[in-house]
Amino acid sequence: MLNDESGNPMDDLSRRRFMSVTMAVAGLAATGALVGCSRTESISTDPNLLTLWYWNRSISEKLLDSARRSITGTPRRLRTDLIGGDFDVKLRTSLAGRAYVPDITGLNSNVALYFPSEDQFVDMNELGAQEHKADYLPWKWQFGVTPTDRMCFWPMDTGPTAQFYRTDLFAAASLPRDPDEVAATTDTWPAWLEAGKKLKRNSGVSLLANASIVYSQIVNASAERYFSPAGRALFQDPGGTIRRAWDVAVAAAQAGITAKVLTPAEQNSAWVSGKVASHIEAVWWGPILKSTAPNSSGKWAVAHQPGAPGNSGGSFLAIPKSCKDPKAAFDFITWLTSPEAQIQTYEDVQLFPSAPKAFESPQLSSPDKFFGGQDVLGVFQESAKEVPITFISPYDSQVSEGVLKELTNVETQGKDPDRAWADAMNQGIRQLEKRGLMK
Amino acid sequence: MTTSPLTTRRPVSALKRYWPQYLAISPFYILFLVFGLFPIVFSLYISLHDWDGIGTMKWVGLAQFQYLLVDPRFWNAVSNTFIIWFMSTIPMLFFALVIAVLLHQNIRSKGFYRVAYFMPNVTSMVAMALVFGSVFSDTFGIVNSALKSLSLDTVPWLTSDWGIKTTIAVMVIWRFTGYNAIIFLAGLQAISSDVYDAAKMDGAGTARIFAQVTIPMLRPVILFTVITSTIGGLSLFTEPQVLLGNTGGPNESGMTIVLYQYNQAFTQFDFGYGSAIGWALFVIAALFAAINWRLVSERTGTKKWGRTK
Repeated sequence: MLNDESGNPMDDLSRRRFMSVTMAVAGLAATGALVGCSRTESISTDPNLLTLWYWNRSISEKLLDSARRSITGTPRRLRTDLIGGDFDVKLRTSLAGRAYVPDITGLNSNVALYFPSEDQFVDMNELGAQEHKADYLPWKWQFGVTPTDRMCFWPMDTGPTAQFYRTDLFAAASLPRDPDEVAATTDTWPAWLEAGKKLKRNSGVSLLANASIVYSQIVNASAERYFSPAGRALFQDPGGTIRRAWDVAVAAAQAGITAKVLTPAEQNSAWVSGKVASHIEAVWWGPILKSTAPNSSGKWAVAHQPGAPGNSGGSFLAIPKSCKDPKAAFDFITWLTSPEAQIQTYEDVQLFPSAPKAFESPQLSSPDKFFGGQDVLGVFQESAKEVPITFISPYDSQVSEGVLKELTNVETQGKDPDRAWADAMNQGIRQLEKRGLMK
Repeated sequence: MTTSPLTTRRPVSALKRYWPQYLAISPFYILFLVFGLFPIVFSLYISLHDWDGIGTMKWVGLAQFQYLLVDPRFWNAVSNTFIIWFMSTIPMLFFALVIAVLLHQNIRSKGFYRVAYFMPNVTSMVAMALVFGSVFSDTFGIVNSALKSLSLDTVPWLTSDWGIKTTIAVMVIWRFTGYNAIIFLAGLQAISSDVYDAAKMDGAGTARIFAQVTIPMLRPVILFTVITSTIGGLSLFTEPQVLLGNTGGPNESGMTIVLYQYNQAFTQFDFGYGSAIGWALFVIAALFAAINWRLVSERTGTKKWGRTK
C-alpha cells in the first residue's frame, strides 16, 4: 500500500459516502439478480413468449417468421435463439444449472445421449402425441421414445441413406451406370466388394473414401446395434451387427477398394478429383456434394445401397420440463412438423421429411440436373420406408469410438484385424466398466 | 500482501482504514473467485464423481484417478504430448535464435521482416490447421506431390504415427518461431555493445563471440522461452483437434493430454474423468514448474553469490 496515514485523500467524507452508496447499490443488484435466477428457469419472463433454441439451417426461417408473430391456435408467440458453437454443451449447461432453459429446443441425431436425463423433458404422450404417431415414419418416431417408453423427442427431419456414385467412372471400369442395374449388381455386401475390386482393377479408382463409412452405414441400417433396449450388451456377439459390420469393413480395407482418406478436406478432394467413385450417405449429402464438386454436375447418380438402407442424421424437437406452456409448445411442434410444413422446410433448407405424406408433393420428386436428370429424392423416399426400427443407446459411442479407431488402424497401418478387434472390445468394455455400466 | 509492521500488528483497523483501496482492487478478485477459483475447486469435486453433465452426480471417490493410472489411452496422450513438445521446441528455439541474430544485423527493411516473422503468431489457428491439412494431405498434398516429382517416396503424413507428430510439430514451429525470435531480439538488443567491443578487442571471432558472449548473456531470455514453450506444449490442443478431429487421428497418434480431456468431457460427456485428466495435467505441469524454478533459482542464486563475494 502506497498511501501513508497522514495525507490519505480517501479520508474525505463525501467520497467515502459515495463509495458506500455504490457498495449498497451493487449489493442490492447482486441479491436482485440471485432472486431473479431462483424464481424462473425459463429464459424470458413474458408468459406469452416461448423461447426456441435451434441451430443454423435446422428449421425453415419462413416458418419461424410466422411463429414469431404468433403460434397458430394459441395466444403465444415465439422467440427464436440461433445457438452457435457447441449446441449440446450449451443446452446441458443450462439444464444442469436450471437457468436460462429454453421452452422448446432442437436436438440433433444424438438424442440418445439425453435418455439418462429424460426426466428433464416433457413426455409428449401426455399432450396427445399418440394421435399424431401414424403421420410419421415409425423408425424415426421410435428414435425419440426413451427406454421407459416416454415420447420426449419429436421427429423433425430424417436422413435415409443410399449410394451416390459417379456414372462416368463406373462405366469406364465396365460397371453398370444405370441406378437400377447398379443396385442389382451391388445388392449384397460381397457383391459390392466384387464391384469395388473390378473398379480398382480396371481403372485404379477407389470405390469408397475409407472403411469407417462401410462400418457406420451397416450399423445405421441394422435393427440391432450395440445394446438391447433393456441394456444388454450386444456388441461382442460373434454373429451380431457390430462384428458383421466390422468384417465387411475390414474386407473392404484389405481388398484395397478404400482410398484411406480420412479428413473431410481430403475426402472432398477425393470426390472432386474422381479418385473415389462413390459414397454411402444420407440424402442431405446431395446438396453438400453439389456445392463441393459443382464441376462434376451430370456425372452423379444415386442407387440403393447393398443390404438394406439405414438412417444417418436427422434432428428432433423437445420440450424441457421448465417450459411455461407445454401445450402451446406442443402445438408449435406439431404445426412445424406437419406434412405441409415439412414440404416448406425441404424447399427452404433441404431437410428431408419425417412425415411420409410430404413425399407426395411434386417438390419432393423432380428430376435433378446434377444427377443426370434422375429423380434422386424418389430413391431416398423408397429407402425411408425400409429403414428398420432400431435402438440407439446412450452408450453406443463409448464402444463405437474404439471400434472406429481400430478399424482405421487396420486400414491405414495394416494392424492385424483379430488383434484390432480384441483391442477395440477391450477399450469399450474398460470404458463401460468405469462408468458402472458393465460388470 | 502488506508486510509493514503497522498492518501486521493491527489487521482489523488496517482493513477499516484501507477499505477503499481494497474495494478498488476487488473487481479482479471477485471475478477470479467466480470464474477462476470456483471452477478449479469445482473441477476437483467433479473428478471424484461420475457425471454426464445433466443428471445426478454419483460419488466414486478416487476411482477416476485409479482408472487414469492404468488407462493406456491417457499414457499414450502423455507420451504424444512430450514427443511433440520435444520435436517442436528444439528446432523452434534454434531457428528463432538464428532469425533473431540475423535481424539484429544491419540489414535493409528490418521492420518488414520483423512483422513478417510475427505474422504466423496472429494468424487464425483454425484456418492455419486447414491449410496444413491440405499441404500435408497423403494423397493430395503439395508436400507429397513435391516428393513424388523428386522421385522420392511419399510419406503418409496424416495416417502414420510419426507423420502425424511431425505435421503437428511443424505447425507449432511455424506458428511460434517468429514469436520467440522477437523475444530473443529484445534480449539481444539489451546486451550492451561495450561487451562486444571488448570481445573484439581481445581478438574473438564471430563464432566465439556468439558462443561465449551472446549465448551466456541471453541465458535468462532463453530460459523464459523454454518455460513459455513448455506451457504451450503441455496445453497443445487446437492444432491436433482441427487437423485430425476429436479422436486424434489414426491410432490416436495426435491425441494430446488436453485433447483427450476435451474428448472425454465434451464428446463422451464423462465430466468426472475429464476433470481427473485436467488434474493429472496440473500435477505434470507443477512438476515441470518445479524443475524450471530450480533451474532459474540456481542460476540467479550462484550469480548473486558470486557478486557479493
